Amino acid sequence: MVSSLAAPKLTTTFSSSTTLLFSKNLPLSLSNPFLSLPLNLTSSVTHLHCRSLSFCHRHRRGFVAASAEPDNGADSARKYDFDLFTIGAGSGGVRAARFAANFGASVAVCELPFSTISSETGGGVGGTCVLRGCVPKKLLVYASKYSHEFDESHGFGWKYDSEPKNDWSTLIANKNAELQRLTGIYKNILKNAGVSLIEGRGKIVDPHTVDVDGKLYSARNILISVGGRPFIPDIPGSEYAIDSDAALDLPSKPEKIAIIGGGYIALEFAGIFSGLTSEVHVFIRQKKVLRGFDEEIRDFVAEQMSVRGIEFHTEESPQAIIKVADGSLSLKTNRGTVDGFSHIMFATGRRPNTKNLGLEAMGVKLNKNGAIEVDEYSRTSVPSIWAVGDVTDRVNLTPVALMEGGALAKTIFHNEPTKPDYRAIPSAVFSQPPIGQVGLSEEQAVEQYGDVDIFTANFRPLKATLSGLPDRVFMKLVVCAKTNKVVGLHMCGEDSPEIVQGFAVAVKAGLTKADFDATVGIHPTAAEEFVTMRTPTRKIRSSPEVCQAHNLFFLSSCNNVYSLRSQLSNVVGSLTSFLN
Amino acid sequence: MARKMLIDGEITQTNEEEAHYDFDLFVIGAGSGGVRASRFSANYGAKVGICELPFHPISSEVIGGVGGTCVIRGCVPKKILVYGASLGGEIEDARSYGWEVNEKVDFNWQKLLHKKTDEILRLNGIYKRLLTNAGVKLFEGEGKLVGPNEVEVTQLDGTKLSYSAKHILIATGSRAQRPAIPGQEFAITSDEALSLEEFPKHAVVLGGGYIAVEFASIWRGMGATVELLFRKELPLRGFDDEMRAVVARNMEGRGVNLHPRTTITEVIKTEDGVKVTTDHGEEITADVVLFATGRAPNTKRLNLEAVGVELDKTGAVKVDEYSRTNIPNIWAVGDVTNRINLTPVALMEGTYFAKTVFGGQPSKPDYRDVPCAVFAIPPLSVVGLSEEQAIEQANGDISVFTSTFNPLKNTISGRQEKSVMKLVVDAETDKVLGASMCGPDAPEIMQGIAVALKCGATKAQLDSTVGIHPSAAEEFVTMRTETRRVSGSGKPKTNL
Repeated sequence: MVSSLAAPKLTTTFSSSTTLLFSKNLPLSLSNPFLSLPLNLTSSVTHLHCRSLSFCHRHRRGFVAASAEPDNGADSARKYDFDLFTIGAGSGGVRAARFAANFGASVAVCELPFSTISSETGGGVGGTCVLRGCVPKKLLVYASKYSHEFDESHGFGWKYDSEPKNDWSTLIANKNAELQRLTGIYKNILKNAGVSLIEGRGKIVDPHTVDVDGKLYSARNILISVGGRPFIPDIPGSEYAIDSDAALDLPSKPEKIAIIGGGYIALEFAGIFSGLTSEVHVFIRQKKVLRGFDEEIRDFVAEQMSVRGIEFHTEESPQAIIKVADGSLSLKTNRGTVDGFSHIMFATGRRPNTKNLGLEAMGVKLNKNGAIEVDEYSRTSVPSIWAVGDVTDRVNLTPVALMEGGALAKTIFHNEPTKPDYRAIPSAVFSQPPIGQVGLSEEQAVEQYGDVDIFTANFRPLKATLSGLPDRVFMKLVVCAKTNKVVGLHMCGEDSPEIVQGFAVAVKAGLTKADFDATVGIHPTAAEEFVTMRTPTRKIRSSPEVCQAHNLFFLSSCNNVYSLRSQLSNVVGSLTSFLN
Repeated sequence: MARKMLIDGEITQTNEEEAHYDFDLFVIGAGSGGVRASRFSANYGAKVGICELPFHPISSEVIGGVGGTCVIRGCVPKKILVYGASLGGEIEDARSYGWEVNEKVDFNWQKLLHKKTDEILRLNGIYKRLLTNAGVKLFEGEGKLVGPNEVEVTQLDGTKLSYSAKHILIATGSRAQRPAIPGQEFAITSDEALSLEEFPKHAVVLGGGYIAVEFASIWRGMGATVELLFRKELPLRGFDDEMRAVVARNMEGRGVNLHPRTTITEVIKTEDGVKVTTDHGEEITADVVLFATGRAPNTKRLNLEAVGVELDKTGAVKVDEYSRTNIPNIWAVGDVTNRINLTPVALMEGTYFAKTVFGGQPSKPDYRDVPCAVFAIPPLSVVGLSEEQAIEQANGDISVFTSTFNPLKNTISGRQEKSVMKLVVDAETDKVLGASMCGPDAPEIMQGIAVALKCGATKAQLDSTVGIHPSAAEEFVTMRTETRRVSGSGKPKTNL
């Protein structure tokens, strides 16, 4: 069996030995703090000492910027209050600030006061991820998943005198206590890194000056990392609707909720409320959920969610929300009106928080979505101003903001211009069941490579055979036929996000299907299916002759000839149109 | 499809010679390895027969069942019980998430047992169908060798069938053993433990291996009082010492009573149950005493000595790298060869056997970086070298990265249980030599890491992979800070 023993060497952007050596001085590894905590939160005497030493030295030289452009007329002898002033203490901002400080820079970060709902005046250290995104969402996913586990447990011999019921206020109180704890930890992290935290709203008043509620701070570099915020379209009655911020902190549990949108946020909340036994209706404009994902995954997740009781209204766009006399809400769409909602939630996208930052006056270019335009080093059109994270609307994920923030600190303060690497970024949707994926969808792979082999598995997991629940798992490998490289990997089913992480390393490293096959399975797991997929489900070929040949191959070697043939002809059919 | 036979590297067989054997391949034992080898051989065009003992959950010299240990008495039923037991902890955790659950939750062992047996029967049927669909002829009965090309199958009614075969494959697996302790007949093995009529409210488990650890976790998770007795300071000898300590700590945290450096000197039956006496003089009376002290290859009644098939001193069939015994046309795969006793390894050996003998491609199974899991609650999963092994094998420095964290779920449930992850890296080449994790979902998480490791991934490659947030697995790609660096020349300091 062929296996490339020496995996291809990657151009790594984020892991030079310098970082490793340096970060030995760091008190803790905090790439995902809420998972890593609590750890010893440092007394960084050593670290501060080392900072003061290197600081003077480096400061005199001036920190080198990514490109050779002049420093926008900034007088290199000019004294600034800070080397870096960061507006926004979310994932990207905190990461950049901490790392910059560790490289010896003097750093300040400003952030709005803590609030579970984001606004022009409310935010909080930790940002979307910790306060209004990943973390609270995942906590509610955990909470809501128990109802499924109770259902499962019957099949495994567990019995309750009365069916377990969820008390919303206990859940939300416990969740908020956890968020308070985390925001406190984040503040400590900044403090321990020697970063000055300033509470208030930052606004840029010149390329080297930030105004925080009337107080001015000068800085050699300014970083904008203010993130994004949910967006509710302007339709009649939209004032009755909630967004994901509010949905994470409702005073009472929705009895019946309409969720508008087909993206990951919509699906995650649909799962949460459904698991907590609300009646859930999802309204999507398109035929399918999760635009941009692999088509088979899109179909599969919607089907599994429907089986768990979520009602999907496809190709239905909201037109108005009407508040009825009994206090309930009706949703009018292009297809009719659905009544009796206690809540209507919009999960129709997020917008970068670029208003009232003084950007226009500074000449910082925005794209048409209002996101800050940056180059590959996260530098804006104004050389001393930089931006990372959701405010740049590149790949809006916490780990990507962390990568951008880390790379930025290296670029500006470590003499090591570093571009974040956006290839093969894995991601997850914490729907129920969840999705994990990395690399290309089948459709993208066909477009990019033409000849693609698809391996799929669709099975009932061991747990479901006992529980009797209709849960299934879907897994898919997308392989470039010419190179045998695995260019895409997708899964929907229990534990998908956990399973996909390790495979993401393999996909990123450019490993082949043969490498996967050479790996022994861990038995009995769901994940082992990814290393035991022997027969392609279909082979997609861009040239019709090859298709014909493979058609014959299937005829001679497969039991289920008919379905494979029809699958193949579907593919060939769609491909022909694509090629023409 | 052209049939190719490989003997001593030659393809010499003529049709005339083939004609005088009943089968191209006769397989004794329809477990993971045997079924895989026979199906794949049949797919290469070989005419294949296979025999297996009649089905029963508890194995003996005359009882077995298609599917073998994995399906009937191992991986599958064990995992089912682990699922059942894990739900106990889940129900507890649910309360902090706002779920109002009765103070007293009932667990019905008989119900789970019944469903488990149904599932195993279903799988047993599926395996039989797999064989039929592959064109493999299945015989029920006890197989033994009567000559290098002759197998005799004793059927249930005592009638004997005799078949000639060009190749014979021994895939009879292994069986749980009881140590020679006075009163051992009052103890049970893992076979019986998977099919107990009554749920043991108080159980004594003897052994420090993965089977012992798994059963202790299962019964404890279902509410039993469990005593785990083992000879060493820590359970799971052979695994990374640090991870062994984590497993022990977690088991203790979930209420398993650990008795390190302890063995049993006597077992007696009393009115209250079964009483064991330990070598420390302690007496424990329990409902059940489980001996999980090892397994032995099933080679006794195969009549191997008549044909001259060599065994090693543990009674395992000796084979070369292609799974061939000292008799050129007799082969063996799986636990009966006592190499790495895991289902996926038996599958690999079976596959490669078929490829070698009937596929015209001599292929050696590759035993490097075989990942594995211990389904304790929470589970442990590892691939590659332990820190101790890495240090022993290293010329230069070994760089160790560890991460101990409170899983996000525990922040609200309040469960005091840390997950631990570890990477062992060659400091000079940056190659990841070993990875381990103890915590929820560890076996699922480790599979993908195993692909990377098998292909020689470097720490830099792990670091360059973006995390999936929030997951536990992302910790593997975000371990920036070296925990310690150990010189390869020095032996690790340990008193374990």
